[in-house]
Amino acid sequence: MTETWRLIDMRIEDAPTQMSIDEAIALARPKGETPNTVRLYRWNPSAVSVGYFQSVEKEVNLEACEEKGVDVIRRITGGGAVYHDYNGEITYSLVAPENDPRIPQDILASYELICGAIVRGLKELGVDCEFKPVNDIVAGDKKISGNAQTRRHGVVLQHGTVLVDSDLRTMFQVLRVSDAKISDKLIQAVEERVTNVRRYLGREVPFEEARDALVKGFEETFDVVLEPGELTEREEELVRELHGKYSSREWVFQR
Amino acid sequence: MKRAEYKVPGGKLLVAETEVKDGVLTTVKVTGDFFMHPEEAINDLEEALNGRDASQIDEIVEGFFGGKEIALFGVSEKDFAHVLKLTLDS
Repeated sequence: MTETWRLIDMRIEDAPTQMSIDEAIALARPKGETPNTVRLYRWNPSAVSVGYFQSVEKEVNLEACEEKGVDVIRRITGGGAVYHDYNGEITYSLVAPENDPRIPQDILASYELICGAIVRGLKELGVDCEFKPVNDIVAGDKKISGNAQTRRHGVVLQHGTVLVDSDLRTMFQVLRVSDAKISDKLIQAVEERVTNVRRYLGREVPFEEARDALVKGFEETFDVVLEPGELTEREEELVRELHGKYSSREWVFQR
Repeated sequence: MKRAEYKVPGGKLLVAETEVKDGVLTTVKVTGDFFMHPEEAINDLEEALNGRDASQIDEIVEGFFGGKEIALFGVSEKDFAHVLKLTLDS
């Protein structure tokens, strides 16, 4: 019989709440109170998330964020800065035990597998794309999804961004891109490095359509059924506890 | 404060900032878009370097990672030592 995983479906929350929910699910998972979980979600207001090890001042144009009402938050995961556009981006997260037979122990292999669900979803929409090590998904030579993973307490948490119709102009106003990164890729215009589903397909793609495709991508990749569910009371309690950390200046500006 | 960036070929970006007084590291900060599990180990690495002789970065970094269960992704132990030493030349 096909296994069922929980789907927390398209919750719209602010940045501290979204990051608290991902961590809460990861914290509750080892206790066996919850099934493996996939979340699809959107950020309201739009936000920039920086990787755990990144410097906020270096990666984010704080004045531009202030002016545009864009939140800034630090993730629990490493990786790069992401612009989560309320009107154009879907974030996913997946939480499963490290010893789940479906999850490779090898970190790169696990990125490839989990990103494979996103690749399948995007292909379902008509976007010809592929996993690009170490943690990106590209369509042609342009990034369309970035992904980040952490492993703690025996649990894998991976979350990532799917650019559906993100405003790329705003993206590069709120993010600072380092010279080293640009020169490494020998590309002058950073805008040429990124695309989104609408731009790739040349048509509007409603969130519902993208959501359906991503759900299918996860179900096929992991051979499971995603059943819409809610957070448990314990998880909601953890979310309330974690919210203070994620919204604090100490956390966001620690690096 | 001296600063250096190192983009690991096929990997991630490391940025190091150091201050050295009389040959001793008095400030060490490493940032970037790399992955390290557990994440908090970055603070321990910085502490392990603080107050130590700047000429011994290789040994300190190697000693820090040796025997610990720290997983790196997109960078290697040697890349940390490399970017830290780059700050000394900058």
